[in-house]
Amino acid sequence: MAALGRMVDRAGLIGGLPREGAEAPDEALVRAAQCGDRGAFGALYQRYSRMVHGILLARVPRLVAEDLLQDVFLQALSRLSSLRDAGKFGGWLAAIARNRANDYHRQAKPAEEWNENATETDGGRAGRDNVTDGLFLLEAVRSLPEAYRETLILRFVEGMTGPEIAERTGLKHGSVRVNLYRGMQMLREKLQRGSFLAERK
Amino acid sequence: MKNDYLWDGSGVPDAELQKLEKTLGQFRCNAEAPTLPAVDRQLDVVRSRGFFSAWRMPRFLAVSFLAAGVVAGAAGLFLRAPSAPMVPGWDVAQIEGAPVVGSAAVRGENAKASLKVGEALVTDGNSRASVQVAEIGELFVDPGSRVRLLETGSNRKRIAVEVGTIHAAIWAPPGEFVVDTPSATAVDLGCAYSLTVAEDGSGTLRTRLGWVGFHQNGHDSFIPAGAMCLTKPVQGPGTPYFEDSTEKFRDAIHALDFEDVDGSEREKALRAVLSQARRRDVFTLWHLLPRVNEAERPMVYDRMVALVRAPVGTTREGTLRLDAAMLDRWWNSFDLGDIGIWRFWEQNEAPRVKKAAG
Repeated sequence: MAALGRMVDRAGLIGGLPREGAEAPDEALVRAAQCGDRGAFGALYQRYSRMVHGILLARVPRLVAEDLLQDVFLQALSRLSSLRDAGKFGGWLAAIARNRANDYHRQAKPAEEWNENATETDGGRAGRDNVTDGLFLLEAVRSLPEAYRETLILRFVEGMTGPEIAERTGLKHGSVRVNLYRGMQMLREKLQRGSFLAERK
Repeated sequence: MKNDYLWDGSGVPDAELQKLEKTLGQFRCNAEAPTLPAVDRQLDVVRSRGFFSAWRMPRFLAVSFLAAGVVAGAAGLFLRAPSAPMVPGWDVAQIEGAPVVGSAAVRGENAKASLKVGEALVTDGNSRASVQVAEIGELFVDPGSRVRLLETGSNRKRIAVEVGTIHAAIWAPPGEFVVDTPSATAVDLGCAYSLTVAEDGSGTLRTRLGWVGFHQNGHDSFIPAGAMCLTKPVQGPGTPYFEDSTEKFRDAIHALDFEDVDGSEREKALRAVLSQARRRDVFTLWHLLPRVNEAERPMVYDRMVALVRAPVGTTREGTLRLDAAMLDRWWNSFDLGDIGIWRFWEQNEAPRVKKAAG
């Protein structure tokens, strides 16, 4: 990060070096990336890949999400010069990810649909059970309305906190909070109807 | 407290939520960062100009032009004498060795010179230089290069790379910066690329950001970021491809573009291209459509639609008869750049470039 800080500082993009260990603000990274700095874009990737993955996972098959993750960042890189307000990078990137997922559904051919239950995991019975449980749960989350499933996936799959989701996606805290609580309530109802948690416990 | 755990992980952990975290957490993103071209030293130099960095330039220019306009307007009211015509030059800075501008060598650290229209910048085997492209970008000229300034108008900047390598970082509107080579004309449609011209007039273009059009006698190739394209005298620009495509794919493209293959050899090369093509290589297949013969074209089309869904508004028949609007729809579906920009350049600028070159 110190090297990145030096790079950003040399570009005259921020007033001074970020403190050792402190994160460069999004604005500085975006502006450096707009000038062609791959290191800065790499830092943005590290910062936002979980958000993009979560948004994709809420909309497309699991294995496809990994594929599209790269696409979204490459698309963002090619369009970065059009982003005028560097502080809104997160919301802008989230919109690209949502659009990319929609494009996938428009373009995908039936023969190319992934088998969602296919897994490369070759663990023992416990591992298989965990994967099966996970797929079942993932399917349950993805059956929720869009806003809820995206927020719940960011929270439970990607391990982001509510404030972090708000900061990264550009949504208001209140909206994220509502999505989390209502989504969780709906998920509970769905799972209880299916007796999932009780059975698994 | 339970609700706080859902919101920010604080408070007493909720067993149910922890189970969700554990079970769903196995699907967390663990993909590697995409492979991007390395940061170039040349771009570092651009950035090190600080205030004159790409993103600030438009604002700086806007303010400067506004201020200049006010001053010039006020002055014009009082001073009506005609001013001497300006002959703008581009600033050349020595990076290494002693590059030559016109007939004068640019020696010493921080030495500078001005490149005028018609003059050439020549670097020997030990020298390198940077060139300020008016207000719209910067060029870096590698050793062993000869670059000539042909035009520097308000809407078009044009150079010829006679031999050698340049790295261009351009932040002008698409189509404003044009580079002639002996076998093709490169039109900047985006941001950054490298172009090498060999003594025999052949060339290689690699795009690092945005996209670049390669044009010769109505023969067009579009090269998006991460892709490259070869060009040869007589044949002109070849078929572009992503640099991460397979070797077999690239070799077969070269064979189709530049080698005198026919019959079974040609069919073998085409089959290799089609079998090796990945989803993202459809843009290469799109370029092949007008370049293969009528008997081969359905094979290319079939492979394209096996990899991606045909865009709305296109048909098999229309695409096979090379309907221009349908081909444009195909290109725009790749999301590599709006072909409308190119069509605009083609109609408005290409004839002027051709006339100026002719």
